[in-house]
Amino acid sequence: MMTNKQRNGFIATVLAVLWSFAGIRKGRDYQLDAEQLNPKHVIIAGIIGGILFVFTILAVVNIVVSQ
Amino acid sequence: MSAVPHDVAHGHDHHDDHHHGPTGLMRWITATNHKDIGTMYLIFSFIMFLSGGVMALTLRAELFQPGLQVVQPEFFNQLTTMHGLVMVFGAIMPAFVGFANWMLPLMVGAPDMAFARMNNWSFWLLPPAAILLIGSFFVPGGATAAGWTLYAPLSVQMGMGMDMAIFAIHIMGASSIMGAINIVVTILNMRAPGMTLMKMPLFCWTWLITAYLLIAVMPVLAGAVTMVLTDRHFGTTFFNAAGGGDPVLYQHVFWFFGHPEVYIMILPAFGIVSQIIPTFARKPLFGYASMVYATASIAILSFVVWAHHMFTTGMPAKTQIFFMYATMLIAVPTGVKVFNWIATMWRGSMTFETPMLFSVGFIFVFTLGGFTGLMLSIAPVDIQYQDTYFVVAHFHYVLVAGSLFALFAGTYYWLPKWTGYMYDEKLGKRHFWLSMIFFNVTFFPMHFLGLAGMQRRVPDYNPMFADFNELATVGAFGFGLTQLLFAYVIIKCIRGGEKATAQVWEGAEGLEWTVPSPAPHHTFEVPPVFEAKGHHH
Repeated sequence: MMTNKQRNGFIATVLAVLWSFAGIRKGRDYQLDAEQLNPKHVIIAGIIGGILFVFTILAVVNIVVSQ
Repeated sequence: MSAVPHDVAHGHDHHDDHHHGPTGLMRWITATNHKDIGTMYLIFSFIMFLSGGVMALTLRAELFQPGLQVVQPEFFNQLTTMHGLVMVFGAIMPAFVGFANWMLPLMVGAPDMAFARMNNWSFWLLPPAAILLIGSFFVPGGATAAGWTLYAPLSVQMGMGMDMAIFAIHIMGASSIMGAINIVVTILNMRAPGMTLMKMPLFCWTWLITAYLLIAVMPVLAGAVTMVLTDRHFGTTFFNAAGGGDPVLYQHVFWFFGHPEVYIMILPAFGIVSQIIPTFARKPLFGYASMVYATASIAILSFVVWAHHMFTTGMPAKTQIFFMYATMLIAVPTGVKVFNWIATMWRGSMTFETPMLFSVGFIFVFTLGGFTGLMLSIAPVDIQYQDTYFVVAHFHYVLVAGSLFALFAGTYYWLPKWTGYMYDEKLGKRHFWLSMIFFNVTFFPMHFLGLAGMQRRVPDYNPMFADFNELATVGAFGFGLTQLLFAYVIIKCIRGGEKATAQVWEGAEGLEWTVPSPAPHHTFEVPPVFEAKGHHH
């Protein structure tokens, strides 16, 4: 139960961060985020997301340049 | 969002509507009241705006015709540099901090800023910095002429005017960091009961994120100019290839500050516009959640795009493509914002008072600047645009039509709350239309000049560029004179006029409209009860 709850929180945090990269969020989901998510987790996930974002673009650039 | 009116709106105690500290000049020197400090920030930034404006008009006078007529090339270069520094660090940034000081405590229901004495120190650091900057014109060798970016090796070679600019930047940086800390702590710790982060007005959100950006990058700028200082006087060779350094390092460090700085100057503008459009469309802001997420997204992305300012400096192709892609992606959250503003107006019952005119004008003209930004982000094409008037046109579209128009909009929006009187609506509208027309007459031709190959930062040019330059100069003088009208409207409003109600605008929502107009010297000494009606359902 405990792990299940944590995992949901983890997925919810990741989803919130991923949506933030597009800059879109459903009002209802946002309310849930606001109630349930720990801001510290969101900030950490945001920083990790930013690093992953950089590596994703780098990967795309590598594919583009190799062709 | 709505709020139970704070007791001061009705029969409030008389002792908090005026101030009890020292009077006269000492009231301002020892000020710790957020409203007094906000007022000083706004007056300071307006003085700097006029100073930077006079420099701009001198530049435009010289550029009215090809050849040299008005100023010497050396002085021209000093003016381009100082115009940029004064407008960025003296006008736009302090103006937004002035808005933050005045409005954030009123919007979150706090009695004052968190650190009232530090607030005083933040402000009073600015006049010495301004004196250093402006005073540097009168020292041997004149002011720095290295461009507002102060690129090495040029900045390593200038006279003592450069040192004065470096110290001015140090001081203004310290002021900005302290201001930012104050804003973060006020927003995070001093909100009225019931106002969760997610119910804050959007202006508070954009300023919260901007404050973090400031804390992150102002030390980077301080580091960059300190390295210039030690290269100049203490024998280091950070930027000198002969000593093992690299002048390109300066550009990387500068733009790692410089790009987030662009967002520092525009995010609070987004916040102001996001307050005004719902009021005059009489509809809640569309996509409040998206607005918050998009602001956060823009802030994060702003750290990974800096080298798009350096496409012609020399970089591996892979790096260029990385920065090109990352930059283009910023258009997504920015587009979300523009979409949300338009969706807010959609089917709203709109009226076009001056704040709304400036906000709608902002959306039109800022978006144009956004598009030219997208054009500049394309690395292969940027080789043509780099250092031309196309770039000058682009960043004036985002900084004048973006930041400045939002500042005008915000001034008209909250002026009745500050002064207790309505401003002259007819003159306000006239100010908008004249600003809008002259702005475009000044800067639109610069796109063509840039595409045709006219370089920026030159006092003389090929006669083929003469016509558009004449047009731009006429527009610039028109725009400058129009701002005197702005000053007149404000002075007239301070002196009196139709009494403003507490609500001021029919469609306005938020705690700041629950206190009387003018806002008493002390507000929310007892936290108001905040009840969200749900401005984002």
